[in-house]
Amino acid sequence: MSVLAMLLADSRFPGGGHVHSGGLEEAAARGLLRAEADLPPFLTARLRTAGLLAAVFAAASAHAAGSPRGDGVWDVLDAELDARTPSAAARYASRVQGKAFARAVGVMVVPSVDGDCGSTLRAVLAATPRPHHAIVLGVAAGSVAGAARVAAYLAVSGPASAAVRLLGLDPLWVNGVVAGMVDEVEAVAGEAVRWAGCAPAELPAPSSPGLDLLAEEHERHHREEVRLFVS
Amino acid sequence: MRARADLAVEVDRHGNTVVGTLRCQAPLTLVPARANGSALVHLVASAAGPLGGDDLALTVRVGSGARLRLVGVAATVLLSGASRSAVTFEIGAGAVVEYLPGPTVVTERAEHEASLVATLARDARLRTREVLVLGRAGEPPGRLDTRTSVTRDGRPVLRQRLLVGDPALDRSLPGLAGRRVLATESDFSPDEAEAASGQWWSRSPLAAGGSVVTVLADDAATATRRLAEVAEKTSGDESL
Repeated sequence: MSVLAMLLADSRFPGGGHVHSGGLEEAAARGLLRAEADLPPFLTARLRTAGLLAAVFAAASAHAAGSPRGDGVWDVLDAELDARTPSAAARYASRVQGKAFARAVGVMVVPSVDGDCGSTLRAVLAATPRPHHAIVLGVAAGSVAGAARVAAYLAVSGPASAAVRLLGLDPLWVNGVVAGMVDEVEAVAGEAVRWAGCAPAELPAPSSPGLDLLAEEHERHHREEVRLFVS
Repeated sequence: MRARADLAVEVDRHGNTVVGTLRCQAPLTLVPARANGSALVHLVASAAGPLGGDDLALTVRVGSGARLRLVGVAATVLLSGASRSAVTFEIGAGAVVEYLPGPTVVTERAEHEASLVATLARDARLRTREVLVLGRAGEPPGRLDTRTSVTRDGRPVLRQRLLVGDPALDRSLPGLAGRRVLATESDFSPDEAEAASGQWWSRSPLAAGGSVVTVLADDAATATRRLAEVAEKTSGDESL
């Protein structure tokens, strides 16, 4: 894994990820997720659905960034990811985070973005001013494998650290859970890499009805009452 | 059993929608009924199943301006063994289609692959409902792999794949949250919809127009009642 990918996956990277719980806050607020034992099944299922989707689009985006391509690829990837995200709240969360991530990457002059990818990031933002998080992550990561791993890892690490803050779980125990998922995260990233060069219309479209419903309700409550996380 | 069914409807010179082609093979039986100006066709399964080895395909072509209502008369019970079904719609300009199959029950030994592919012209409309029931009462579900792909004017509108029958997903909050029934009602129209939600249901606008209502419930009656309640709150005039 490249140091660049590590930087993007670091929870201290100011890409806006810290304000998203990936549906965990809504589940916790409703008492659906209370104890330590509730966390691993949530993270595993999230990884295999939303995590796979993010990894696939991050990998496809990294592939597109590294290949000669016609104009319009960013529009196409954006529309294909929209079509795989039926929840408007989930699309909003992805775009808020994508915008914050693009800003951080642009300001910091990340090495991959400083060279050819600097123009790539500009092309992405020109086509989609509020890009999806997975797509802009793919552009910044510098490699297909790095993009897939970072996206799959963030799909788990974000909700895991939210669980520490919301449920008061032991951070060491929660990190142990994430460490125990390393093989699963690698498997999801590996699957995403295998799809990277395929036509965008053919990319996997794993659905997550429960996450979609949690996202919609979270957004409604977020507007009506104080919530710690945007999603 | 391999079965193919084809249905094509079009507008005649009086402006009425008429059935042009109707070919079917058991167990896929299409029964046209009279309707005022629009076409009403019932989808009748003339044999049990699908069961192992069944490969069913239904293709529906709807001409410009035509109005079709295709309604299932009973639940589809997915029985033991590997089986497939594919439903394809091609919907022309200004056409309005409602596709309302009965609930699908995924029984314990089922291994079914289902697909719904719809190609819509720019201003075509398709409203469809899917009610998936995980097992008969007291029975764990078999496996169902279902894919939906809808495009409008060549642009993607909805692409989703759902796997049922993996307890790690079925029981998880991100998956089906331990509920026995997933019901969705999709309105693939160019209209903008308003978001609404409650515990275990939502109506979410799609990025490309239209909306999807999603309900998770413990039984099919509750799920369909909830779908109807949500639809009522939004009722447009586009239903046939």
